[in-house]
Amino acid sequence: MIPIIEQGLLLSLAAMGVYISFRLVDLPDLTPDGSYVLGGAVAVVLLHAGHGWVFSTIIAALSAGAAGVVVAFITTRFKINSLLASIMVMTGLYSLSIRVMNAPNLPVPKFDTGKVMSYEQVVGKTPLDDILGAGADIKFEGTGLKAVKIPFTNAADGHDLLIIAAIVLVLVFVSWLFLRTEFGMMFRGYGKNRFAVKVLGVNPDLFAYVGLITGNIFTGLSGALFSMYSGFADVNMGIGTVVVCLAAVILGEIIFGRFEFMYGILFPVIGALLYQILLSLAMKYGYRIGFKPSDMKLLTALFVIAVIAVRRFKKSEVTV
Amino acid sequence: MKKWVSAIIVFLSVICLSVVKVGITQIVDHPALNAVFDGVVKAIEDAGFKVGQDVIVDRQNAQGNMQNAVAIARKFATEKMDFIVAIATPSAQACVQAISDRPVVFAAVTDPVGAGLIKQLGRNDSNVVGISDMVPVSTHLKLIKKVFPVAKKIGVIYNPGEPNSVTLTNIAKSSALSLELTIIDIPGTSPSEMISALNSIGPDVDVLYIGTDNTAASSIEAIGNVALRLGKPIVAADIDIARGGGVIGFGFNYFQVGVETGRLLVELLKGANPQDLESHVVGPESLLLYINLDLAQKLGVQIPADLVERADILVEKGQEVQK
Repeated sequence: MIPIIEQGLLLSLAAMGVYISFRLVDLPDLTPDGSYVLGGAVAVVLLHAGHGWVFSTIIAALSAGAAGVVVAFITTRFKINSLLASIMVMTGLYSLSIRVMNAPNLPVPKFDTGKVMSYEQVVGKTPLDDILGAGADIKFEGTGLKAVKIPFTNAADGHDLLIIAAIVLVLVFVSWLFLRTEFGMMFRGYGKNRFAVKVLGVNPDLFAYVGLITGNIFTGLSGALFSMYSGFADVNMGIGTVVVCLAAVILGEIIFGRFEFMYGILFPVIGALLYQILLSLAMKYGYRIGFKPSDMKLLTALFVIAVIAVRRFKKSEVTV
Repeated sequence: MKKWVSAIIVFLSVICLSVVKVGITQIVDHPALNAVFDGVVKAIEDAGFKVGQDVIVDRQNAQGNMQNAVAIARKFATEKMDFIVAIATPSAQACVQAISDRPVVFAAVTDPVGAGLIKQLGRNDSNVVGISDMVPVSTHLKLIKKVFPVAKKIGVIYNPGEPNSVTLTNIAKSSALSLELTIIDIPGTSPSEMISALNSIGPDVDVLYIGTDNTAASSIEAIGNVALRLGKPIVAADIDIARGGGVIGFGFNYFQVGVETGRLLVELLKGANPQDLESHVVGPESLLLYINLDLAQKLGVQIPADLVERADILVEKGQEVQK
């Protein structure tokens, strides 16, 4: 159960990002599939460079935020739909993340590695050596890196959960405070009615920037923490982040939707936890009732559609 | 009645004591990785254990999703699996991060040191041991040089998003220097990208080389067709890829990787410590030489007689002959 909550909370950070872009500022943003990875990549690279985990995480989150700047720039300056703009940025981030790591996958080193061994030393001769000449000069090199300290080291002790829960709580509280400010009010107003904000004499582009940047900062933070939690950053780890987060946000809205809008920032957290629990149940029992692993994506999609449909149905009932 | 009850209790406790639970996690549903799983099961059964009776196997698949891979690893950690087998790099990394008190056996990881799983190949003082599916890249390049003496430019088809392929390509690049060959990247992150890259870069190279790339493996028929149209022979590091369209293949099949992994697991099941075992690369006895003479003839490639004689699998007149 503890690992499920841990992963749910890690997911909730990304879900908060998606909530900000999809719900608060109403600028659908697909960048998270890429900025999640960028966050993880930057965090692990900085750890390798010898920086502490707190510093690495913060820089990672900010660099994901930079991806949000680009999306906001394209959206506001070129008047391109945010969905389209974010697809471009997301695609570009795939290459960028590989550049950052200089590899598609980078582990968080738990111990010093660096002993160089040749293929011959490890395997011996290949059956073709007498025909082709001996000497396979493959080297097995360690990354040559020193072990780094990260907070998430052992699944068994309960520390991981405490750290993650503390980070999520602080961020929820800070977001809540922010949304109570005058600027926060206008921020939410922008999502509801863009023209109204213009009438107030504020440049509406500002809100697009703030929304897309904070959204991606949350996603990048989620990716950075997930990389440290899982022990590696991989360029393919972001695939499907937006869909999963959207599922979490909608799930949270269903459970919490009747409460006041002020608590909106809690929707993704509750939703992500529930989503993770449902996922683990599906993984545990799904096989027994005949699901194949490849069916899970279809199930997620159907689940999100069903949940939206149910909500719409309920709403129409209320209005009648 | 009492006798019955006590007999049942004794029976149940014997079962509970003798049954061991093995959690096997794999990153994605893929023929090569499924073959590794089958090989592991084969090795367990060959050693005299009955799967489902003496050994309960909990097979989990992360569906290509890293979050799921981590969820599975953490699930194995809390559910007290006695042994864990992790197939492919991300699954193995997740297990090594989450589990430190029980043996973890990794399989189909090309560079386990670079992936941060173990300190070095051979013996380690951790709970982790396993098999690397590194292939002898420089032997492949020598093979290319022998069969295609005039070839200078070798096009490597690979997915830059797969750690195993990137490792192999980097090794190829450093090995090529001493053999006076040039490696040209033919990258693609999806089968369609790969084929368009092949269409545009393929004409400039002399020979195509494919490592143990999963993306290339999944679209090898299409790649083979394009290569044939371009008149470029494919040399593969994986027997199954070679079967799909290669003229020459020198490597192993993933079932064999699974069997070797399973043998490590069996040692552990019999009571060995992971520290007593050595992490190693798929052994030379698993390396097979595949030659497709039909395809060679079509492409006008002369295969030296000593290689044909040495081949383990020959395709001649539409028939595959195993020696």
